[in-house]
Amino acid sequence: MKARFINSLFRTVLVVALTLFIVNVAFSQKERTLILGAYTVPKEAYEKEVIPAFQVYWKQKTGEVVKFEESYVASGAQARAIIGGLEADVAALSLEGDLQKVVEAGLITHDWKSGPNKGMVTRSVVAIGYRPGNPKNIWDWDDLTKPGIEVLYPNPKTSGGAMWDVNAIYGAGLMISEMKTGKPDPAYAENLLMAVQKNVKVMDKSGRESVSTFERGIGDALVTYENEILLRQMEGKDLPFVVPKATILIENPTAIVDKYVDKHGTREVAEAFVEFCFNEQSQRAFAKYGFRPVVPKIAEEFKDKYPVPEMLFDINYLGGWGEVEKTIYGADGVWTRIVERIATGK
Amino acid sequence: MGLSVVGIEKFTQASAMRKMRMGRKENWVLTVGTLGWFLILILLPVAALMEEAFRHGPTAFLAGLHGEAAQKAFVLTLWTTMLAVVINTVMGVMLAVLLVRHKFPGKALFDGIVDLPFAVSPVVAGFMFIVLFGPNGFLGRWFEAGGVKIVFALPGIVLATLFVTLPFVTREVIPVLREMGREPEEIAYTLGASRWLTFWKVTLPSIRWGLIYGITLTTARALGEFGAVLVVSGNIIKRTQTATLYIHQEFVDFNYQGAFSASVVLGGMSFVLLLVMEYWKKRHQEP
Amino acid sequence: MKTLSNSGVLGGDVLLKTAVFSYVGILVILPILYVSFQALGQGFGKVWADILQPSALFSLKLTFFSAIGMAVINAITGVAMAWVMVRHNFPGKPIINSLIDLPFALPTNVTGLMLVILYGPVSLLGKFLKIRGIEIIYAQPGIILALLFVTFPFVVRSVQPVLMELDKDIEEAAATLGARKFTTFRKVILPHLMPSILTGVALAFSRALGEFGSVVVVAGNIPMKTQVAPVFIYGEIESYNPRGALAVSLVLLIASLLILMLLNVLQKWGRERGT
Repeated sequence: MKARFINSLFRTVLVVALTLFIVNVAFSQKERTLILGAYTVPKEAYEKEVIPAFQVYWKQKTGEVVKFEESYVASGAQARAIIGGLEADVAALSLEGDLQKVVEAGLITHDWKSGPNKGMVTRSVVAIGYRPGNPKNIWDWDDLTKPGIEVLYPNPKTSGGAMWDVNAIYGAGLMISEMKTGKPDPAYAENLLMAVQKNVKVMDKSGRESVSTFERGIGDALVTYENEILLRQMEGKDLPFVVPKATILIENPTAIVDKYVDKHGTREVAEAFVEFCFNEQSQRAFAKYGFRPVVPKIAEEFKDKYPVPEMLFDINYLGGWGEVEKTIYGADGVWTRIVERIATGK
Repeated sequence: MGLSVVGIEKFTQASAMRKMRMGRKENWVLTVGTLGWFLILILLPVAALMEEAFRHGPTAFLAGLHGEAAQKAFVLTLWTTMLAVVINTVMGVMLAVLLVRHKFPGKALFDGIVDLPFAVSPVVAGFMFIVLFGPNGFLGRWFEAGGVKIVFALPGIVLATLFVTLPFVTREVIPVLREMGREPEEIAYTLGASRWLTFWKVTLPSIRWGLIYGITLTTARALGEFGAVLVVSGNIIKRTQTATLYIHQEFVDFNYQGAFSASVVLGGMSFVLLLVMEYWKKRHQEP
Repeated sequence: MKTLSNSGVLGGDVLLKTAVFSYVGILVILPILYVSFQALGQGFGKVWADILQPSALFSLKLTFFSAIGMAVINAITGVAMAWVMVRHNFPGKPIINSLIDLPFALPTNVTGLMLVILYGPVSLLGKFLKIRGIEIIYAQPGIILALLFVTFPFVVRSVQPVLMELDKDIEEAAATLGARKFTTFRKVILPHLMPSILTGVALAFSRALGEFGSVVVVAGNIPMKTQVAPVFIYGEIESYNPRGALAVSLVLLIASLLILMLLNVLQKWGRERGT
C-alpha cells in the first residue's frame, strides 16, 4: 500500500508536469514572432496601420511571415516589465527616461540615439481637452486652477503620459515667469502645478485610461497627449481641445532590445521594423492617428494639422529626464512636495 | 460620551418592549430592511452591469465576445484556473490531512502560514513572484539558464494564481475533517483497509461537501484574479492577457460592449458553478 | 494495537510531509521571506522611513480606517442577513441564499466597473447624489462601498451555520422566563454568535486591507486623498521603488497576520463553546 500510494502520487505529479509542459508548448509559438512592448496610447496606430504595413513589406522583401505579439500598458509599467523579464524585441515607450531605465538594466546595448531623429519615432504636445461648447472656458493652464474645475491626468508613478503632463504644466510655469521677469521662477511654476493638482479628480494608471475616464463623463478638463485627443476625434468623438501657448514637446522613443533580439534571433526583423517606423509611409500613418511626424518632409505635409505652439519647450528646458526624475518626481521633488502640501493644507 | 450604562439598559428595555408589542411587524421590518440592504448593495450593481451588457440586444452582447483576443484570453484563464484548481485541490487536501491528523513541531505556525495568502495583497503577490522568479531572481535565474520563462508567461500566471487560491480548499476541508473524527478511518484501518483505500473510501466521502465548496471557491477566485496577474503577466495580448485583463483592456480602449460582455460571461461562469454546487448539496443532503 | 495514528506512516507520511512542506515552502514561505529580507536588508531605518513617508502613511491610514468602517457595517448587516436567512421564510429564499456568494464569484475589477456604472458621476444615481452633495465614486465613500461589496459574504457565511445549529429551545426558554426578544438576542444568542461574527469580521478586514482590483477602479487614487495602500504599493512597484512597495506591504502583512492569529484563537474559542 505504501508502494500504491507512491505510485499514485507519482502518476499525479507526472500528469501535472506533462500538462504544464504541453500547455507551455502549446502557448509558445515557434514561428517568427516579434514582441512589441509599448505604452498605451499608440495602440491603434501600431495595430491597425504600422504593423500590418510592415508585415506586408517584410513578406515582400523576404518571403517570411512575421507575427506580432503586442503589449500595451503604461510606459513606466512597461519599462518595469521589460526589465523584469518581459522579452520585448522592440520597446516603444512614451519617454526617453523610461527607455533609459531599460538601457541601465543592460538590456539595450547599442546607441539607440544615433538613429534617425535621435531614436524618437513620434512627437506630440501636451494639450487640454474640454467638453463640447467649452462650458467652463478652458483656454490655458490658468483656467485649470479655477475653483470647481475638475482636472484629469494619470499618476506619474506609473504613467509616462502623466510625467509629460506634469512637466508641461511645471515648464509652462517656468516659461511664463521667464517671459514676465526674464528669469524662470520655480516658485511660480510650483504654485501653478499645485493649483492644478488640487483640482485633479481621478489619477488613472495610464494615459489611455485617463482619456477613457474623461470620455465617460468625468472631469471638465483632460490633460493628455494631443495625439490621444485627435485619435478620439478621428473615431467620431466630439472632443475639442486647446494646445496651450506654453507646452512641452513630447518625443517618444523606440528601440530594439538587444538582449532579447539576440536571444530570439530576431535582430534583423526587429531592426527592420524600427527603421520602418521612420519611413514616410509609417510617419503618414502616425500622423493620421494624431502623432506629429518626425520626418521633416511629412511634417511639412501635415503642418496645418499641427500648428507649433508659441512657447514650445522640450525636456531639456527642464534639465533632461535624469534631472527631472529627481527634482520633480524624487522624494524631495516638486510633485511629491505639492501632493503633501495639498494634503496638509499648504 | 453622554450615555450611561443605566441609560442604555433603560433604552434597550424600552425599545425591546416596543418590539414585543410590535411582534410580527418587527420581524417584517428586519426582513425587509436587511433584504433591502442586500438588494441595494449587491444586486443593484449587478443589475446595472447586466443592463449595460444587454442594452443593445443579445446579438451585440455576443459580438462583444468576438475576436481572437477575447477567445485567447478566456482560454488562458480557463487553462490557468484548471491547473490551479487541480494542484491546489490535491495539495489542499494533503495540507488539511497533515494539519488535522498529524502532529509535528511548529504545527500552529504552519497553520498560520497556510492562511498567509489571505493576508497578502494580490499586487504584492504578483510582485513577489517577479522578484523571485524573474530572470535575475533568486530562483528565476536557474529557469532562465534553462530557457524556461516563468514571469510574463503562463507559469508565472499559474504560480500567482496558485498563491492566491491556496487557502480555500484547506480551510473548507479542515473543519469537516475534524468533525468527522479519526474513528471511521481507524475502524477501516483495523478492518484491514490500506491507507490509500481508507482515504479514498472513508475520508474522502466524509469531507466531500467541504472539499467541493473549497474547489468551487478556488475556481471562482482563480477565474477572477486581477491584481496579481496585472503585475506578473505582462499583458501580452492573445498571449498572457487573462480574461480579467482583457476586460480591463477593453474598458480602457473604449470598447465597453466587449468589457461588459466578457464581465457577464466571466462572472456568470463562477456564479453558475456556485449555484450548481448549492443545488447538488441540497439534493444530496436532505434527509 | 496498530492504529492509523500510531502506525507512523500514512503510506508515506514522509512523502506527504515532504510534498506539502516543499509546496508551501516554495509557493508561500520563500517568496515572502525573500522579498522581506531584500527590503529589510537595506536597513530597517530606511524601510521605516519609507513607511513614514507622507503618501505611504496616508495610504495606510486610509486603508485601515476604510476597512474598519466596512467591518462595522458588515458585522451588523452580516448578522442581520444571516438571521433573516435562518429564521425567516420568504419567497425566493434559496435564490437569495445563492446570491449572497455573488461577490465571491465576480472578478474584482468587474465589481469596480459595476459600481462606477451605477454610482459614477455620470450615472443617474450619481448625478442625483451629487446634487445633494454626496459623492461616492472617486471619493472616500466609494472605497468603503467597494470593500462592503467584496467582503459581504464573509460575516454572513460565518454566522449562518452557527445560527442554524443554535438550539431554538434556549431562545424559547429565555422568552418564557420573561426576557424581551431583543434582550434574549443580546444576552443569549449574541454571545453564542460572537466567535463566528468576529471570525467573519477578521476575514473581511484582512481581505479589505489588501483589496486592489475593485478599489483601484472606483477610488480615483489621488495620493494622500483617495489612494489606498495596495494602489500606493502598485505605484511604487511600477516606478522602480521596490523597497517602498515592500515597506508598506510589510505593514499590511503584519496587520493581517495578527488578525489571522486572532482568528485562530477565536475559532478555538468557538469550538470550545460550540457544542
